[in-house]
Amino acid sequence: MKQICRIIIAICLPLLFCAPANAQHSGPFVGAFIGGNSLLNAKGSDDQGDFRLSFKPGFQGSAVLGWDFEPGNPLGEGRAELEYTRRSNPLDQVKFVEGSFTGGGTVVSDSLMLNFFGVFHDGGRWAPYIGGGVGATRIEASSLKVDGQTMSSDSAIVFAYQLGAGFDVALTDYLNLDLGYRFFGSTSPKLSEVGGRSFKMDYFSHNVILGLRVGF
Amino acid sequence: MTNLLLSGLCILMVLSGCGWDGEPTRNNDFTPLTSIEIVAGSSTIAAKTSATFKVNGTYSGQFTRDITNQVVWSSDSPAVAGFVTTANPNRITGKSSGTAIVTATVGSVSSTFRLTVSAATVTTLTITPATSSLSKGRTVQYAVRGLFSDTTTQDLTFDAAWTSSDSGVATVSDAIGSKGLTKAISVGTATISTAFGGITGTQQLTVTEPVLNSITVSPVNPSVLTLSSQTFKATGIYTDGSTADITAQVAWDSSRKDVATISSSGTAATLTQGTTAISAALSGIAGTSNLKTTGGNLAAIAISPNVVTLVKDTVSRLTATGTFSDGSIRDITSQVSWSPASATIATVTTPGGNLAWLNALAATPAGTLSVITVKNGSISTTTSLIVTIPSVTSIVITPVAVESLTVGTGNRQALTAYFSDGTKQEVTASSEWSSSNTAAATVGNSGIVRGRVSGVAAGTTIISAKYGGMTVTAPVTVTARTLNNLVITDNTVLTSGNQVKFTATAGYTDGSTVDVTEDTTWVIDFPNVAILIDSQNLPGQVVAVDHGTATLTASFGGKTKTATISVP
Repeated sequence: MKQICRIIIAICLPLLFCAPANAQHSGPFVGAFIGGNSLLNAKGSDDQGDFRLSFKPGFQGSAVLGWDFEPGNPLGEGRAELEYTRRSNPLDQVKFVEGSFTGGGTVVSDSLMLNFFGVFHDGGRWAPYIGGGVGATRIEASSLKVDGQTMSSDSAIVFAYQLGAGFDVALTDYLNLDLGYRFFGSTSPKLSEVGGRSFKMDYFSHNVILGLRVGF
Repeated sequence: MTNLLLSGLCILMVLSGCGWDGEPTRNNDFTPLTSIEIVAGSSTIAAKTSATFKVNGTYSGQFTRDITNQVVWSSDSPAVAGFVTTANPNRITGKSSGTAIVTATVGSVSSTFRLTVSAATVTTLTITPATSSLSKGRTVQYAVRGLFSDTTTQDLTFDAAWTSSDSGVATVSDAIGSKGLTKAISVGTATISTAFGGITGTQQLTVTEPVLNSITVSPVNPSVLTLSSQTFKATGIYTDGSTADITAQVAWDSSRKDVATISSSGTAATLTQGTTAISAALSGIAGTSNLKTTGGNLAAIAISPNVVTLVKDTVSRLTATGTFSDGSIRDITSQVSWSPASATIATVTTPGGNLAWLNALAATPAGTLSVITVKNGSISTTTSLIVTIPSVTSIVITPVAVESLTVGTGNRQALTAYFSDGTKQEVTASSEWSSSNTAAATVGNSGIVRGRVSGVAAGTTIISAKYGGMTVTAPVTVTARTLNNLVITDNTVLTSGNQVKFTATAGYTDGSTVDVTEDTTWVIDFPNVAILIDSQNLPGQVVAVDHGTATLTASFGGKTKTATISVP
């Protein structure tokens, strides 16, 4: 609950500090992003105990559909958007009591988020922003393996949230280049093991994205 | 703007952390088990004896793990050796001489072990450890090893039968899982015996008086105010589970003597704010309790009254109030030393609690003051005294009459004397008081209750006060009333170290009300949170000690009322 409150505060605070600017886009926009992410070491837990899953960095792609608030909007200056993102990270190693073992397979996250970003326009081409969003993600353990042995092939849909910051670079009045960072997390998905047990795993990742947004 | 953005990024990093780096507690059961190995202490056991096996599993060459508890056991020759102990599936018992192939199976993986059962017979039993003395309440695990006719030796703890010659002195277990476990029951001597194959081994065991096992110090981790005291108790817990008060036998110590010192009897005197570990040690065993002191460090002392003028042979009450480093203020009359400059002119007596009496003994020389120094540690102040010797011209009692004193309550009478030099002085505490009808009301004639009239039963009495050869009286009528309710000060929030006075008011069925603060019994449930500063001399006065919530209970005339004291 406390974490959710922090997220909401982080989302809303920037909107309070937004200032009006001139010649900026307002209205709908679409965008597409590509990037890379680092999925943090995850704690896996089942009725046998805890184990650690380590992942390799992965790629991600996003599509957004949103609305730039007009200057002077009472909610503050910024944008609201609906974002779909797919992240994929290969399982690198799994550590048990006996030591670390080679992993296999990937963990894929398909998320649908409602984001709010406060944008700081100061009349220049560069406009920093900060904000976050909440939504849901489907996390899939795609043929996760330990030492070549299948560990899990399952998926679960869980609550997700993200916090982000970055820079908008206005290429034209309607076209923006976006370079940003996102911290993405979710509640722990419950996935089944091949032996019939279920385990829960953390899902937190650092993400760097680059994309274009087109207003119309 | 940049700062705001950086702050936002910092928040993100704090929230994100670096992933889980804890230590795994789960075994890897995903990597396939590829082979197992049976480990035995010996490949040969004697008939009628038993031995246990251990099994290590190898997982695809990556790691090995003890998987004894997962194994299914079998023997190809159960008549030679078999697994007959249900409670210990990995224990095999030799039945007759010969050879048996033992098989361990885990899933689809198995391994074999060739076990020989010999016809050797036991010749000697040796019990270990050679413990001959044990304090009452303690235990010792005995084991027995057998020497066989073929010169081999074997652990026979499981196979031998265990007995005690006097189970009232010491018991020994013969149950599977605890064979040989011996417990000292009472002071005396017993023989622990173990028998196998017609051979007996013995161990003489003397059970001695219980010895100290641990010490507990109570109260556990108390909080008290600075410039106060806390008495600790040490309880010894002995090997037989018995306990005893060993407060007077232990050596007391305080880890921080700048916070509190402790006497050899276990009473700590708190000095400054902080925490110190109070320890009690005896015979190499110690127990501790952490004493937390609150309420700030003493910064200044104020005396009331500041300049006292007294007539010779009269007394006056003195009060010392401390101001502390945390801004709190409270009565510290009992925590200071009172030192009159001249003991022939005045003395200060402290009969207990927060009470100090200044006794004027002789006149001060004309135009001079007698100084009284009041001190605690390095903080001190002074007050001045003038003692005169005028003659009494008249005395006045107030109130001049008490028309309706309620039974069970009290009322203070005051006596004022007028002197030949034109001065006057309250001499209540220096007068003789009496009641003509103590069945109706009594009057205090000593200490702080001097002049306080207490209603006993309906009726009338005359209260007399005598001073300087003069006597005045005041009629008192005592009325019986039926108590209807009791009202006390509302719930209060207090900061640590500060003092507040709670009052109690009794409401009667005839509509009258009486302040019964001094007639009420006050109790606080959690002294770590708040205390009554002095129930006898300052009834209803509460001082906050440490964070928390306590309940103050006031009882009067069969009625009880509570208030919550919160210390943030």
